Amino acid sequence: MFGKSDFSYLKLKPDHASRPLWISPEDGKIILESFSPLAEQAQDFLVTIAEPISRPSHIHEYRITTYSLYAAVSVGLETNDIISVLNRLSKVPVPKSIITFIHSCTISYGKVKLVLKHNRYFVESSHADTLQMLLKDPEVGRLRIEASETVTKDGLVTERAPTAGSLVIPGTAASRKDNSAPDQAATATGANGASAQSGDGDTGDFFSHIVDIERDDDDDLDAVHSFEISPDSVEDVKKRCQIIDYPVLEEYDFRNDLRNPDLDIDLKPSTQIRPYQEKSLSKMFGNGRARSGIIVLPCGAGKTLVGITAACTIRKSVIVLCTSSVSVMQWRQQFLQWCTIQPENVAVFTSDNKEKFQGDAGLVVSTYSMVANTRNRSHDSQKMMDFLTSREWGFIILDEVHVVPAAMFRRVVTTIAAHAKLGLTATLVREDDKINDLNFLIGPKLYEANWMDLAQKGHIANVQCAEVWCPMTSEFYQEYLLANARKRMLLYIMNPTKFQACQFLIEYHERRGDKIIVFSDNVYALKAYALKLGKPFIFGGTPQQERMMILKNFQYNEDVNTIFLSKVGDTSIDLPEATCLIQISSHYGSRRQEAQRLGRILRAKRRNDEGFNAFFYSLVSKDTQEMYYSTKRQAFLVDQGYAFKVITHLHGMETLPNLAYSSLSERRELLQMVLLQNEDAAGIEAGDDADDFVGRGSNIVKAKAKRHVGSLASLAGGEDMAYIEYNKNKNKELKSHNPVIKKLYYRKK
Amino acid sequence: MAADDLKSSVKEYLEGLPEVILTRLYESPATCLAVFRLLPALAKMLVMSMLYRDESVHISEIEKFVKTKSRKLQVEALQKLKALHLITEVRRDRSIRLSSTFRNSFRSALTTGPANQSFGVPCETDDKHKVDIAFLDKHASDKWEGILHFMVGTESTGDFGNTAPPPGEGVLSLLHHSGLMENAMGSDMMVGRNESVEGMRISSGGFQFLLQSVNAQIWTLLLQYLNMASNLQMDPVDVLNFIFMLGSLELGKDYSLSALSDTQIKMLEDLRDFGLVYQRKSSSRRFYPTRLATTLTSSDASALRSASSSMDAAINEAGTPPVTTTSSSKSLITNNPGDSGFIILETNFRLYAYTDSPLQIAVLNLFVHLKTRFANMITGQITRDSVRRALINGITADQILTYLSVYAHPQMKKNDPVIPPTVMDQIKLWQLEMDRIRASDGFLYTDFSSFQEYDLVATYAAELGVLEWQDPKRWRFFVSREGNAQVVDFVNRRKAK
Repeated sequence: MFGKSDFSYLKLKPDHASRPLWISPEDGKIILESFSPLAEQAQDFLVTIAEPISRPSHIHEYRITTYSLYAAVSVGLETNDIISVLNRLSKVPVPKSIITFIHSCTISYGKVKLVLKHNRYFVESSHADTLQMLLKDPEVGRLRIEASETVTKDGLVTERAPTAGSLVIPGTAASRKDNSAPDQAATATGANGASAQSGDGDTGDFFSHIVDIERDDDDDLDAVHSFEISPDSVEDVKKRCQIIDYPVLEEYDFRNDLRNPDLDIDLKPSTQIRPYQEKSLSKMFGNGRARSGIIVLPCGAGKTLVGITAACTIRKSVIVLCTSSVSVMQWRQQFLQWCTIQPENVAVFTSDNKEKFQGDAGLVVSTYSMVANTRNRSHDSQKMMDFLTSREWGFIILDEVHVVPAAMFRRVVTTIAAHAKLGLTATLVREDDKINDLNFLIGPKLYEANWMDLAQKGHIANVQCAEVWCPMTSEFYQEYLLANARKRMLLYIMNPTKFQACQFLIEYHERRGDKIIVFSDNVYALKAYALKLGKPFIFGGTPQQERMMILKNFQYNEDVNTIFLSKVGDTSIDLPEATCLIQISSHYGSRRQEAQRLGRILRAKRRNDEGFNAFFYSLVSKDTQEMYYSTKRQAFLVDQGYAFKVITHLHGMETLPNLAYSSLSERRELLQMVLLQNEDAAGIEAGDDADDFVGRGSNIVKAKAKRHVGSLASLAGGEDMAYIEYNKNKNKELKSHNPVIKKLYYRKK
Repeated sequence: MAADDLKSSVKEYLEGLPEVILTRLYESPATCLAVFRLLPALAKMLVMSMLYRDESVHISEIEKFVKTKSRKLQVEALQKLKALHLITEVRRDRSIRLSSTFRNSFRSALTTGPANQSFGVPCETDDKHKVDIAFLDKHASDKWEGILHFMVGTESTGDFGNTAPPPGEGVLSLLHHSGLMENAMGSDMMVGRNESVEGMRISSGGFQFLLQSVNAQIWTLLLQYLNMASNLQMDPVDVLNFIFMLGSLELGKDYSLSALSDTQIKMLEDLRDFGLVYQRKSSSRRFYPTRLATTLTSSDASALRSASSSMDAAINEAGTPPVTTTSSSKSLITNNPGDSGFIILETNFRLYAYTDSPLQIAVLNLFVHLKTRFANMITGQITRDSVRRALINGITADQILTYLSVYAHPQMKKNDPVIPPTVMDQIKLWQLEMDRIRASDGFLYTDFSSFQEYDLVATYAAELGVLEWQDPKRWRFFVSREGNAQVVDFVNRRKAK
């Protein structure tokens, strides 16, 4: 029955009841009782050394992987610490296979660091023999340049190891304490390093012990050894080290970087960061230098602020890359809101906006596609690109890092010389395996927060998730069975019952006073739904101005409570007003998209009202492929502890006044319309934003000719919204109406 | 859950018996005591109040015992008593009297106690091969679990290092007879003594049986045994008396066979296979009842629980380590619903069960896709397929949910409802899903050479009313089994032309 997975031969320890976890020898899976008194410490530890698989209410699962161990080593854990703490927490002795695995992964990882000091690159390690080994390697040895410092007889430079001593992450408790002092950095004491690491105070014996070990090590390793390499050969050294299995960690000793000018940036005194944000940053700045890596926080949990705080800690020129021009504006605005940076030091680089900042150091916000573009550029943007590539950047923030394919990243990372890289994302899952590339392109995952935990503590909203089953009407189902795959998709999206369910939910929640976002990946359906219901919508083809206008209206206009978004709205659009989300079509079985969309309502402003719940509905046509995809999509959220309730019948839907498609003839008409649609209408919008780089990978550049919905009318411009007679486009209306909003909008801008 | 069910099922059986047989039953004091224990509280009280009164009791007197609010209970109690023929009503003066046979036997049960033969005759002499309670418990659980294992089909594979031999022929025949297991070969095989171990397959009733508590399971089997006994020319009175006698025996004592009738001695053999009694060898003149037997007629579940906790104590006294080695006897304990549960079910349909009992694992395996096993825990996932498999085997969604909530881990019990509602809904939806497809046997017609040909035959089939489904685009249609011959004829006739 269990085959290879029968581990009952692992003898329990006598006091197993008081230990919280089991370890599976086969696949490195760790099962944790979250109700154990030690669970909280164990979770802190596990999230560092293992990937969380599922974290619902009682029992959590983690898995130890090569990458997770790499991450653990890079934040300073040692092989023996990992094993001894595991052993202390485990009900069964740590299996031999796991010990061997941990050894094999950690022995070479994290031993070698690439450090930029005084604008020279050093390969650094606390183990002199490792460096000797590297120097003997024919390729690395060749690239070494003689240092001018005093050199020991074996050719290495030795000096004191860095400590986190005088570093203060702004916005944390320690920095607030020190605020009165004139020079923060100089007066902060070494205690801060400890407070960053054992910050939560109530750590159990064993856990503080591990922290002790860490600090002991810091003392032991007073001396680090290094040799210098030339900046041109950095890439080669990295590649070579990768090959010989000694991947280099990149650290940026920003306090000793004198060549790059400091940026005058600090968090505003009113800005405070939350405990988990502090925890994630302490992993990044653990030893007083900036480590490159990825921080995973749920949407709405303040990823932006983590990025900003990191930027304020490093205080060098910063470049931020995000996925769409809308989020570019949001990043800019957030920077101005949270920290003291002057607006003239902030530059935006998008297709409509190409300005440079004043002064030596500054902030640039742009999109991946702008930077990674290899096609011909306009004169302006070429000039801007030259500006970006010509200088050195202290810090690069890569937003929504999961969407970007490896090839594009490589291009971004190589064109822009940045010392520290921080990737931010909510969902480090992809349907393909490419997520692992990120580990070596950016760095290890430094921190991953627990969704349920944050929801309980009120940092993100509580969400009621529901899957609404909409039976296909018989006419549609008949056609569905006969149609080919693409047409099928259109049929199940346009299912009249689904439309009715959508209409019903919108009415219901508008009456409750909710602000609703309706998502549809399919543009044809998006337009059809929105026009029929008379709601504004945004899709890839909506001009930037119009988008901003609609979003502003949604935020401030009481008459606009529902908007329709295509997948351009999946990520980065920040709408704290939204409290209800309805999904009518989606990108196959993408777990990430589901999580990202849920993220749109996690930051709901009203989340701390008592008994407040946000709502997430996924409308699914029964008995179609959608059901299968829907289950797949939910897997990630379900593993985070969200429960999807199945609704088979919406009470009161039939009696809704003005219910669309309630008569057979109307449904027939709709069916005819759908059947007349070109197959391409079933397609998913080709991304103008970076969201769906998944799967298409590097091909995106080649696809210069874009295929459009191919009806003749569209070629003649006949599909322009103005031509639709009975379903008026709400978008246009918004423009002419509401002068108040207009004023508000322009002033805001 | 099961305690009430089983009590009512025993009672129903008794109530179904004719008065003559019941009267004969009541001649045994042990039976009277057991029947008395099965009665509802108010009925017990009434019986006790009438026991030592020779004259009949007037209804109005009884009414004084009962508050007017609870009149319903009184009526029920009296009805029960009447159905069991414990009381007779004298219409004329609205009075009732206790059945005289019952009164006499019950009085003797209360007064003479162990000296009474119907409570079993303890052996006078010391047993050279004396066994202790721990041994009996192990014997009982080995035997009983052997049967359950056989039912779930784990005994032959030896997956769990289970060494119990397949149950005896009597048990096999009983399992077959009661419909808990069936012949995989088909129903036309002879019912009788020729069941082979290989040919048996658990039936849907058997799956439901597995989800019951031990006590309920024993009663289910014993009642089936009673049914079978009458077919085998065994006197049901003897059988019942023996069962009830077992319920009043003392654990750990040995009893002599001398007081038993021939039927009962024959029965002993079968009961030994169930693990209700222990006999060193079949020629032995003494037997020991096991805990399974002595708790048979316990009036409430708490007795069972205390029994199991005393068993725990016994195990600990015997000096065996509490955790690992005594797995089989421990699982019998945890099988009782009163004990703390062991199952954690998450909203992501993952299931974690704190158990090392092969039997519980086997039961979970009925509807859970099991993944890994640790020394004291197994993990698994409830999937659509695993639940469908169970549903196809005849287990209902409700049974699964009841099982999950009865054995839910204390951590789960803090939730309300105990099982995550989404999982609950989903399991029910999976069951609904099963009912959506109507299968009909028949024949598919394809590969027509032209549309005309297709159309002609399909139209003909439609006219006959045997056309179940057609797909004009691909030139194929489906004809019901009954109508097939006619359509084939039609095609052949066409071909002949």
